[in-house]
Amino acid sequence: MGEHVILFAGPMGAGKTTAISTLSEIPVVSTEADNSERDVVDKATTTIALDYGEITISEDEKVRLYGVPGQRRFDFMWSILKERARGLVLLVNNDAADPVALALEYLASFEELVAARTVVLGVTRTDEAPEPGLALYRAALSSAWPGAMIPVLSVDPRKTGQMHTALLMLVAIIDAEAGIPTNSELST
Amino acid sequence: MIALHRDQAVIDACALVIAELQELTPSLVFASVITSDGFEITHAPANSFNSERLASMTSSVQALGDAVARELAMGSNGYVVMALDGGNLLQIRVPGQRVILAALFNNQELLGKGLAVSRRAVDRLGALLAAL
Repeated sequence: MGEHVILFAGPMGAGKTTAISTLSEIPVVSTEADNSERDVVDKATTTIALDYGEITISEDEKVRLYGVPGQRRFDFMWSILKERARGLVLLVNNDAADPVALALEYLASFEELVAARTVVLGVTRTDEAPEPGLALYRAALSSAWPGAMIPVLSVDPRKTGQMHTALLMLVAIIDAEAGIPTNSELST
Repeated sequence: MIALHRDQAVIDACALVIAELQELTPSLVFASVITSDGFEITHAPANSFNSERLASMTSSVQALGDAVARELAMGSNGYVVMALDGGNLLQIRVPGQRVILAALFNNQELLGKGLAVSRRAVDRLGALLAAL
């Protein structure tokens, strides 16, 4: 069975743990601790090592889903896990202060995957904060990494269908970049 | 409510216990007390290592140990020992608190003694913090 290792990264509160819980078909391995800085992000707990889940996307393809902590002080976990990763789902909450800049900042920390063109950007909480629109993200990404062609989607990490779409899009991109025919190509 | 790592009374209590540990155990190379989500409360000696980064790593390792304990349905993870070439690093939760002690002992120290003095230190720190 082929396997993909996909990272979920992004700022604290963007929905990484929720997204992995939504997608995973196994009980998620989580490493949560009480959040000491509720004045910064009002969440009771925060991920401090990783989240881990799995999903089977076809008869012969399994995806291992790793969520990394959002806070930069845990960037050693980003370094450890990105060495194994073939793709990245970056989640950015649109209600953050300057979320477009935040997206660029996080992507810069995963530039190997950006250079490999195996990244999808999911913008969350667009229902609560409709602006900035996705076009602003696309323009900023094109300017920062011309040719990277990073898909930008609005997603709700609680909704299975939306997260499936983002994940399957990323897997198809990874296969295409690796020159592997996708399932739909094989069936034609 | 003030965060533990910014609460001066908590910082003072942690510094006191580390100082006592240093006095008791000359083989102690470094010690820090951190919150369970990886913020450093205090450490000693000063200017040793990148203590803030170590605080984050300590909390991650502790959490991974907890995840393993859950996976094995074996309760909780009281402490972690890392047997390093240069010594032993012990991480122990402070009873009843969202706080972890990390203590690095050199190769001159027996693991058992390091564990015993560290356990005594976290019991003392737990009592001090509970009294605040």
